[in-house]
Amino acid sequence: MSISQPQKKRAEGVPVASCWNCKGAVSGAHFCAACGKIQPLPSGWDYFRFFGLPQKLTIDPAELEGQFHILSWKLHPDNFVRAGEFERNLSLERSSELNDAYRTLREPISRVEYLLEHLGVRKEGTTKQQAPPELLEEVFELNESLDELREARAGGGDVAGLRERLDAAAANFQEKLAEVDAELERIGREWDSAVDGYADESMRSALLAKLNEVLNRRSYIRNLVAGVQKELAEA
Amino acid sequence: MGRVVGIDLGTTFSLIAYMDPQTGTPKCIPGPGGSTLCPSVVSVDGDGKIIVGDAARQRLLTQPDRTIYSVKRLMGRGVADVQSELKIFPFRIDPDGDNVIRVRLGERTFTPPEISAYILRELKSWAEKYFNEPVDRAVITVPAYFNDAQRQATKDAGRLAGLEVLRLVNEPTAAALAYGLHKQKRGHVAVYDFGGGTFDISILKLISTTEGDIYQVLATNGDTHLGGDDIDNALLDLARREIQAKFGMELDPRGEAIQTLRKSLIRAKHELSTAEKTAIHFPLDGRGTYVREIRRAEFEELIQPIVARTMTPVKLAMADAKLAVKQIDEVVLVGGSTRIPLVRKTVGDYFERAPHCELDPDEVVALGAAVQADILETGVKTMLLLDVTPLSLGIETMGGVVAKIIPRNSTIPASAQELFTTGVENQTAIDVHVLQGERELAKDCRSLARFQLKTPPGPAGLARIEVKFLIDANGILQVAARDMRTSEQHTVEVQPSYGISDTDIERMLEESIEYAEQDFADRQLIEARTEGETIIAATVKALAQPRAREISADEHRVIMESEAKLRTAMLGKDYTLIRNRIDELNKATEHLAEVLMNGALQTAFEGKRLDDV
Repeated sequence: MSISQPQKKRAEGVPVASCWNCKGAVSGAHFCAACGKIQPLPSGWDYFRFFGLPQKLTIDPAELEGQFHILSWKLHPDNFVRAGEFERNLSLERSSELNDAYRTLREPISRVEYLLEHLGVRKEGTTKQQAPPELLEEVFELNESLDELREARAGGGDVAGLRERLDAAAANFQEKLAEVDAELERIGREWDSAVDGYADESMRSALLAKLNEVLNRRSYIRNLVAGVQKELAEA
Repeated sequence: MGRVVGIDLGTTFSLIAYMDPQTGTPKCIPGPGGSTLCPSVVSVDGDGKIIVGDAARQRLLTQPDRTIYSVKRLMGRGVADVQSELKIFPFRIDPDGDNVIRVRLGERTFTPPEISAYILRELKSWAEKYFNEPVDRAVITVPAYFNDAQRQATKDAGRLAGLEVLRLVNEPTAAALAYGLHKQKRGHVAVYDFGGGTFDISILKLISTTEGDIYQVLATNGDTHLGGDDIDNALLDLARREIQAKFGMELDPRGEAIQTLRKSLIRAKHELSTAEKTAIHFPLDGRGTYVREIRRAEFEELIQPIVARTMTPVKLAMADAKLAVKQIDEVVLVGGSTRIPLVRKTVGDYFERAPHCELDPDEVVALGAAVQADILETGVKTMLLLDVTPLSLGIETMGGVVAKIIPRNSTIPASAQELFTTGVENQTAIDVHVLQGERELAKDCRSLARFQLKTPPGPAGLARIEVKFLIDANGILQVAARDMRTSEQHTVEVQPSYGISDTDIERMLEESIEYAEQDFADRQLIEARTEGETIIAATVKALAQPRAREISADEHRVIMESEAKLRTAMLGKDYTLIRNRIDELNKATEHLAEVLMNGALQTAFEGKRLDDV
């Protein structure tokens, strides 16, 4: 790996207003309309804006992929091998942002996570590891079965019987995961209409909080299922 | 500026290719022996001269302690990483204090990038001779599953060989490019690349856009220590055990005999790709001969576990690409080991279709590299490769746990930003440990680098330093840091976890330039003398022909004089003088050649030059 220094200081929060080359007006476009030179990434931009999309959660995957290919063709470092270092770095910056944005937006879950993080509702990489109240009882039972399984493995108990019970429990939680995904999609659509209808701040905040809560629940159940599957694989 | 080429720096063989402007197709360049395959073998003779390729491979038998093969297995690795390799491969590693691998060849030691640089330089000289022009830029291929350190080492090797490395391209991706050109197919393609020392699987999507074709890698997986070498070792292991049991003889793993045995076993392996059975005869000096018939069924049983090991990465890559077997439209085979029928059958069975193997599996990677080199060089983009990073990038957090910041199979360039702060009051440095791999704990991942972010003393949590991790189009990591409070760029001091430091590279570069000049002069001299010998022999032969009497006495005298002058020049070391004398003699014999051509021997001479006679 190599260590380099950031080549250029960006003005915080202020979109670059004019082209570095011809001084023509640019407002975040990938290339200057006048001279065609690649432009630095304005700070404060998000992945949605990079693709020219509103901050909405329903995205047509085929359309996004098409955009990704078109932008890849234009921004990729292959196009700048013979350009100067400054432009090469801009291409690296823009094309990595493109790939990061596409990777994040193409998956519905990471898309919601990103939106919440970007709007400050959620801290990156953090999820509450508390059992959702309505699941408490089932989680409690599951943990008991897991304990029994570990004991049975160590002491030669009825592993097969427990396995059956755990398989059923895992399937049950898997079903719940599908329910949560459907719920996430539904609230996502509510969010989209709120954006379209210029809904007020309080309504937006409420929807975001709801999305965050469902996301936490999802992450909790997913960890649960993964945990059971791991135990079963070892047993 | 000189020419640009594509190079496949392989474990067993290396190749160099270029884009033929006339035909618009890539072409591999042959070496002096006529073959396009350059054995990736390097040897050092008693005078410290470096020998590469076929000649070096001969020396594996006679000078095993001065010769090295499969050096690619050592690239970008530390002494601690290669202990298992040392049991099987006759590498003599200098037991130096640090973790940098230094291979002993005769009197000198060499790092793996230096040895690879000799192979690159040999290939470069093939191309320079072919073009009669310098070659200074290249696209070099690497296994898709190479990590950052292995890629960096390959780039260093290019630099040491006097090549500007325009891009490192993943081998299966390069193969897909050559394949796509050939077939013009669209859809999902699986490239199964089973070479001499590495195994890669890449799943690609080929897309047509209004601008041109895009080759998007969806997922890649592999094993950087799984290849034909392992098959050879399995055969060798069997033979050694049988020799031990039958003759009570223990073969020295670093001796000459084992290399001879390996060579005949490799030949047997090749034969079993087409024949149902083969036999080896291996004389054990004075103690009889080890004779062994090997049937294909037995061979397949022996190598089945090795072939089976390739299928785990295949399944993982398919899962990451989120594709079902039925969605794969074509399977492309790359690498010499895919000539083995069992390999073809295993791949065909899994993908439920016959794999595509019309292209030469040895040449296809170099051809793809040449295409990419041409695109980068001319700036005329007809296609675009979108490759991925094979391994997740992470940083160590509390308790030695790795936080993944760029997941594997992310399209490159890819980046991640992390904010670092101080945990205790008056802390003046924050340690950052960068890792690559899929495991949860730092100790199980490959350590790429450690560095410290310096910060002025203050209350805990006040410092805010943003670090940007960026994997470039070569798959190599770059790190930049910025203090968020002051917007100042930040000094980052890196302590590479292992490998060669930049100062080492600078020193080697200086040395290699010295040696390169020497090597170049030596080579030029040898080549000029050889050519001189050839033309003198041809001249003597021509003058002895009866029809040679048709030329004038004057012409005869000029020829004799030129020949004498050439002989004198050849005694000296000035290769340009020898070249000039060769040209003079060629000119002096022009008429003689014509006379002979026009004569009774015309038919026999058709299309030949005098020095071909």
